[in-house]
Amino acid sequence: MAKLTINGNTIKVKKGTTILNAANSIGVEIPTLCYIAEMNEIGFCRMCVVEVEGEQDLVSACNTEITNKMVVYTNSVKVQEARKATLRLLANKHRFDCWNCPKDGMCEFYDLLKEHDIVFEEFGPGKGRYPDFIDGSAINQDQTKCVLCKRCVAVCNEVVEARVLKFRDDDGLNPIVSPTPELSFDASGCIGCGQCVKACPTGTLFEADHQTRVEDKLLESNTPVIAQISEEAAHIIAEELSQFGDELGIRDAYGVIKQLGFTDVLDINTAKDVLVLEEVNTLKQHLNNQQDVSLISSHCPAAVRFTELYNDDYISELSTSKTAHMMQAKLIKDVLETPAYVVSILPCTSAKMEMERDELKDHVDAVLTVNEVMKMIKHRYLDKDRKDVDIEGGTLQAALSVATNYQGSMVQLENVLNTLSLEIDNKPLDPIEYKVIAGDESKASTGVIKEAKVKIGDYKLRVAVVRGGAQIKAFYKLLDNSKTTYDYVDMMACPEGCANGGGTPFIHDITTHDVIKKRIELLCQSTDMAQYDPNISTQTLYQKYLDQPSSDQMIALLHTSFSPKESTKE
Amino acid sequence: MKESQVVNELFEKWILDAKIKLDEDNFFLKINDYLESTHPEICGKCPPCRDGVVRLETLLNKYKDGVATLKTLKEIEDIVYNLRSSRCSVGLDIGKNMEVVLENNYHLLYNPVKKY
Repeated sequence: MAKLTINGNTIKVKKGTTILNAANSIGVEIPTLCYIAEMNEIGFCRMCVVEVEGEQDLVSACNTEITNKMVVYTNSVKVQEARKATLRLLANKHRFDCWNCPKDGMCEFYDLLKEHDIVFEEFGPGKGRYPDFIDGSAINQDQTKCVLCKRCVAVCNEVVEARVLKFRDDDGLNPIVSPTPELSFDASGCIGCGQCVKACPTGTLFEADHQTRVEDKLLESNTPVIAQISEEAAHIIAEELSQFGDELGIRDAYGVIKQLGFTDVLDINTAKDVLVLEEVNTLKQHLNNQQDVSLISSHCPAAVRFTELYNDDYISELSTSKTAHMMQAKLIKDVLETPAYVVSILPCTSAKMEMERDELKDHVDAVLTVNEVMKMIKHRYLDKDRKDVDIEGGTLQAALSVATNYQGSMVQLENVLNTLSLEIDNKPLDPIEYKVIAGDESKASTGVIKEAKVKIGDYKLRVAVVRGGAQIKAFYKLLDNSKTTYDYVDMMACPEGCANGGGTPFIHDITTHDVIKKRIELLCQSTDMAQYDPNISTQTLYQKYLDQPSSDQMIALLHTSFSPKESTKE
Repeated sequence: MKESQVVNELFEKWILDAKIKLDEDNFFLKINDYLESTHPEICGKCPPCRDGVVRLETLLNKYKDGVATLKTLKEIEDIVYNLRSSRCSVGLDIGKNMEVVLENNYHLLYNPVKKY
């Protein structure tokens, strides 16, 4: 233990603690910009500088360890003036079009300027560090707004391990954060997971804009515009909306979205169940035929792209099912024969990249992230408390579902195994006991690999859940080295899965992730595996419109193919 | 003469014998030369040094062009003192050297901008 004084308060803290953590432990706040706990404690932004008695210069609190009898001032005149001067320097190289910025009120840089009452003297707000705009089908970068905090780089390297974004400091006076120079995100090997968008404190990195095209379509009166919302997205929208007032439920979120002008608002739970039935059949075929390779789920577009880009040996082991929202769009257009403009509302940015794939053209017409929907809601002055919006009715809702309480688990693996168990053993699956083999479940930043052994009928299955890009990489390495196989692998590129998707609002405590934990708890509330049976929820659909799962019709409709993809990195 | 030798000479002049006043005629030119000579060393990681040095040069150019005001001087001071919050000794050294310049040659900066 070491003793130190912060702003006159003497405290005892563990040796090795940083000044920032010591100050936070007694409720003294130190502003930060580039800091992400445990991931980006690099002292780049100099916002967290503090005065230490006996030191000539100001030191950064985020990466300076305390020493015994240290005396720290976090708010002295010197400190405040330094912070203001640094902010002025940064602001001079930042383009301010805050009213039109994709960050839309969530900008940390703006908050800092406001908190510090920044007044410009000789230099006003700038035109931006670089004029470039880097395109991508999922992620875009507007370099006029970059403050070079390197948070996105840390996330891309450590959480996702795609290593697309880099801090290029060959010219020290003009460093730049970008994917491979002169190339788009797609060509640089981006998987579109959007974790960098969540990490960016300004509007530099943002999801590709589909909002404008949806808004334009909503104004045209001739085509029906159908919104299909994932359970996670609806929950997060309700969560965001309830910040303005009373607690709102998932059905209220549907009501608010309907008010935006959509003809129909559907959930994708039915399609999720169709997907589960397809996966069960694929798994059965796999169990009977190919025990020497693994079967890897393909329900996360970012994880699929990760495999295509960086581990193409395993493409043949991916399940060929489309993602649930793609399936539902195909069902709406081709099976239910509804001419419509289908908009998926997801917490996912990678789905924007997915819909550009050649194999999946003409499925979904636009993908809105939760952030984009929230922007639309805010800009339209909608009545968030209106409870009488009718979200039911119509043939589509009769065939598909609307805002039903989804009883299935948030982990697709559990749904698949449960259904298989119902089919073979005629009973729901006992809760699966996982063993964590990599990562840490208590940390969102690291992701996790969990494995379990499950017995269903005569089958002894070895299954795994993989979350986070870094863990996908580790998992493939594990498969390479150990030569073991898994009967079913549930793989997702975002740590903690869709509840922590790239299109969800930014959360400051990335590593402790209290918000995500609460969100997952809420999402799991309706889970009731004893009641869950996808055969029941999809009954109407199969009776009226569809052939048996895994029949030729279904393969043509609901399955796709994957191929190796190339990227250039520098 | 190599670039590093020039820098060393300037260092000697400003740090070891800080009391020597800079040649008044070439004052702004020399500071600009010094600041320019630091460019290769700047790593670009923290704003006080990365953006501050360029900003100082722009402000000093205002003196050369005869358009400086009291605000210019104030901003120069701000930026120079802010170099104390740099991440590494490159920025810190530039800051300390510039502080010495301010200390010993303040009149050169103040005279052109004073009001009366």
